[in-house]
Amino acid sequence: MTDVTIPTGLWNEGDEAAISAWLYSNGDSVAENAVLAEIMVEKSSFELLSPAAGRLTILVAAEEAVRPGQLAARID
Amino acid sequence: MSSPDAPTVIAPARRLTIARAIAEAIGQEMERDATVLVMGEDIAKLGGVFGTTTGLLDKFGPERVRDTPISETAFIGAATGLAAAGMRPIVELMFVDFFGVCMDAIYNLAAKQCYFSGGQVTCPMVLMTSVGGGYGDAGQHSQTLYATFGHLPGLKVVIPSNAHDAKGLMLAAIRDPNPVVFMYHKALQGMGWLGTVQRSITDVPDADYLVPLDKAKVVREGKDLTLVGLGLSVHQALDAAERLSGEGVSAEVIDLVSIAPLDRQAVRASVRKTGRLLAIDDDYLSYGVGAEILASVCEAGIALRSAPQRIAFPDIPVPFTPVMEHFVLPNADKIVAAVRHMMEPSAND
Repeated sequence: MTDVTIPTGLWNEGDEAAISAWLYSNGDSVAENAVLAEIMVEKSSFELLSPAAGRLTILVAAEEAVRPGQLAARID
Repeated sequence: MSSPDAPTVIAPARRLTIARAIAEAIGQEMERDATVLVMGEDIAKLGGVFGTTTGLLDKFGPERVRDTPISETAFIGAATGLAAAGMRPIVELMFVDFFGVCMDAIYNLAAKQCYFSGGQVTCPMVLMTSVGGGYGDAGQHSQTLYATFGHLPGLKVVIPSNAHDAKGLMLAAIRDPNPVVFMYHKALQGMGWLGTVQRSITDVPDADYLVPLDKAKVVREGKDLTLVGLGLSVHQALDAAERLSGEGVSAEVIDLVSIAPLDRQAVRASVRKTGRLLAIDDDYLSYGVGAEILASVCEAGIALRSAPQRIAFPDIPVPFTPVMEHFVLPNADKIVAAVRHMMEPSAND
């Protein structure tokens, strides 16, 4: 099992960030380094990459706010 | 993944949003063809307010990925000249609503270049532009204006409903020798603040491929009636078709893909089979895409089982207040209600 966490250091602390869209659904198999989701911060877009290959479990719904370091998904 | 009951995982497909698919297509074509360049407001450093040029500045530098001043008159005029001189510019008109200040370059120069020169000078430019509302951006940032552009000879006008088509259409648009207006609907861009239709995020091949600029697609087969949509309204039609199937109504859904040229044959072939037609789009009703679809079917003398119908945006400026805006925008509920009426035995009385 591998944790997928929101990246740190890419935007200013305090800027509001949210998952704009998950590109895969719960239970989909994904490749390592696949773009799993996009994170919108102040109209800029950041990628959430998969740290491993496996089956995706989404823990934060699209359009919910996230903060750097937060657990967003798991890869099993 | 290693648990004994898990089946062998086949190589997973790669998903993209429409925004990323557009950016990838432009980047691949810039690698392949040194005459391709991009210009527009906030397209370089920011990557486009709708994400259509993400990553291109880093890859190709400020000579070929140019942030312009807020003067559509200047940079779209410049693109028309660049295209006539042999370059292949892609210019972004951030909102289609802004066409007023640059339309002369588009419809009087670019669209007519090939005709006026007897085919000797073409104008291979792509004008990409965002369309649509639904997120409270009011009457000057929420229009679609499909019919305005589709009405003018010399322009091809396309709009993708999903990421796969977005990439193939963009590659085809850049390679086309004449101007292509490439519209993308804000609600399908995969940008969170505008909402996202999950179905528009699709598997997209890494490789180069083309989607024809003049072919509609049957995206759901059915036998009782034909729903015709484009861009966002394809998804509304698909949602409605799914609900209607629970009521025993089998709806066929056509994605127009292109407004000009319009694939009348695809629409006619479907309506010949189903005998009923409902066209849905989010441009103003009068003189609109729906009117053209209905006329195309009626002119062909196709026998209909109920009077053809259209759903579009009423002939008023887009309201700012969300309650009012959503009251007038097309949606799946309105499609379902219209279809129920069309399926009543008395619908043709």
